[in-house]
Amino acid sequence: MSGLSDVVRTAKSILTGHGITLKEFFREPVTVRYPQEKIEYPRGVRGIPSQKVNPETGDLNCTACGLCARACPVGVITVEAMVGPDGKKMQYPAKYELDYTRCLVCNLCVEACPFDALEMSDMTELSSFSSEDLVFDRDRLAEIWKRSHAARIAGGEKI
Amino acid sequence: MAQEQLFMEGAVEKREPIPENVERQTMELNLGPQHPSTHGVFRAILTLEGETVVDVEPVIGYLHRNHEKIYETMQYPQIIPMTDRTDYLAPLTSELAYVLCVEKALGIEVPERGRILRIIFNEFQRILSHQLYAATFGMDIGAFTPFLYVFRDREKALDLMDRATGARLLFNYFRIGGLRNDVNEAWLEDFRAWIDNFEREGWPEYVRLLFENEIFRVRTKDIAVLPPDVAMAYGASGPVLRASGVRWDLRKAHPYLGYEEFDFDVPVGEKGDCYDRCMVRVMEMKESVRIIRQALDRLPDGPVLGKVPRGVMKLPKGDYYQTVDAPRGETGCYIVSDGGATPYRVKWRSPAFVHLQLLPYLCRGTKVADFIAILATLDPVFGEVDR
Repeated sequence: MSGLSDVVRTAKSILTGHGITLKEFFREPVTVRYPQEKIEYPRGVRGIPSQKVNPETGDLNCTACGLCARACPVGVITVEAMVGPDGKKMQYPAKYELDYTRCLVCNLCVEACPFDALEMSDMTELSSFSSEDLVFDRDRLAEIWKRSHAARIAGGEKI
Repeated sequence: MAQEQLFMEGAVEKREPIPENVERQTMELNLGPQHPSTHGVFRAILTLEGETVVDVEPVIGYLHRNHEKIYETMQYPQIIPMTDRTDYLAPLTSELAYVLCVEKALGIEVPERGRILRIIFNEFQRILSHQLYAATFGMDIGAFTPFLYVFRDREKALDLMDRATGARLLFNYFRIGGLRNDVNEAWLEDFRAWIDNFEREGWPEYVRLLFENEIFRVRTKDIAVLPPDVAMAYGASGPVLRASGVRWDLRKAHPYLGYEEFDFDVPVGEKGDCYDRCMVRVMEMKESVRIIRQALDRLPDGPVLGKVPRGVMKLPKGDYYQTVDAPRGETGCYIVSDGGATPYRVKWRSPAFVHLQLLPYLCRGTKVADFIAILATLDPVFGEVDR
């Protein structure tokens, strides 16, 4: 192996590299200027689990059965049923808390729900300065679902 | 396979001998744990003599999350999202090992469409993992441009994964008995387009940019040669073993998922140096494309999730083991069940952990600048090493 052939081969591979990068001048850019432009999430992307709301009555679909809390691998869901005036448990959640700080976003709670009461929303930008802010209660989860639902309807999707 | 076929000739070590009769002055160099080229949090204590590495002591455990013990407190379906977090660059193969093991214990049949889709996703995962490997390996030895080209394609592939599974990195897609959800025709069309584009444009570009580059070849050829007998003695598997010339692939040797129906080759290296370990992975991407094309052609209609017993899943008493050929090597899942709702013990056989013990052998006598290249060719993922 002579020194000259090394030089020739190295020069050739550098030229090949430059040729490939030169082609990139004539291609469309693939990057997006993120905070100004956003890529829309596809349908079915897993953000925070949210509480479905019946659009006609405005009530939650949740019956406080607690199957989601049992299916959760990390136990971040707390459900308490509402107690009626007669002292019996009603099929409605009085308290539904989801601790997003430990949530795996794994979809198992949605799969466990037999009443179609939970759905993964497409909200992922939920950062906050305090960890208490990330413990979502019933009403905030419903609010998140309403927002992502409205966005879907505005996007022309049929529900 | 006969012994003489397993080995090949010409695997000769080429290393600089450490000079004798010289007063040895060594120094210790602490590399990591927060080093950008260690692919995670990994600390290596290098003993150097000048620029020559005399010894390496790998220190692991910085990413230890106690996975195996946590599994013992979880029900069987709940473990699946946790297996994603072991090998986080190829989560679907970890899931596959676990899911196949449970299915074997319960005797669950997976529908045909689910089985073929599993193969497609498994091979897609292999392409993604090897792609990232090629990108980061280039970056480790100083080639930044190929990284950007790989990530251009990887971004589109992750979008496809996002559409099918709902997540970009930790997919949680396989279920005991099949898949979580089906993919639609539009997805399959875009997937075919991605595969075509990858084979026609992406793959040749990486090869011409990086692997045919003279500087790259000089940096990697004849560095850290791993002879086949040593590789087998250390328990190496996957691309590291195949680069040494041993034609051993679990998809051929112990077929699972029906890989025996597919026509593909197992690329092997010639010498077992850094270049071979890299090229084996690059060639495997092509083979994965071949498998995916065959699988797409025979994808039937039908359900993707089979019949699973209702109620809390309980495995019969006993122990079960399943290995799969992950992008990094042989991933194994060993479950011991005492008949309860949670496993008694789960043991994870992770290839990267096994390969890391090769590091002192490979690095002795090489230059310190090659250490990063040698570590990168073992392709460790520290989520999997520490578990």
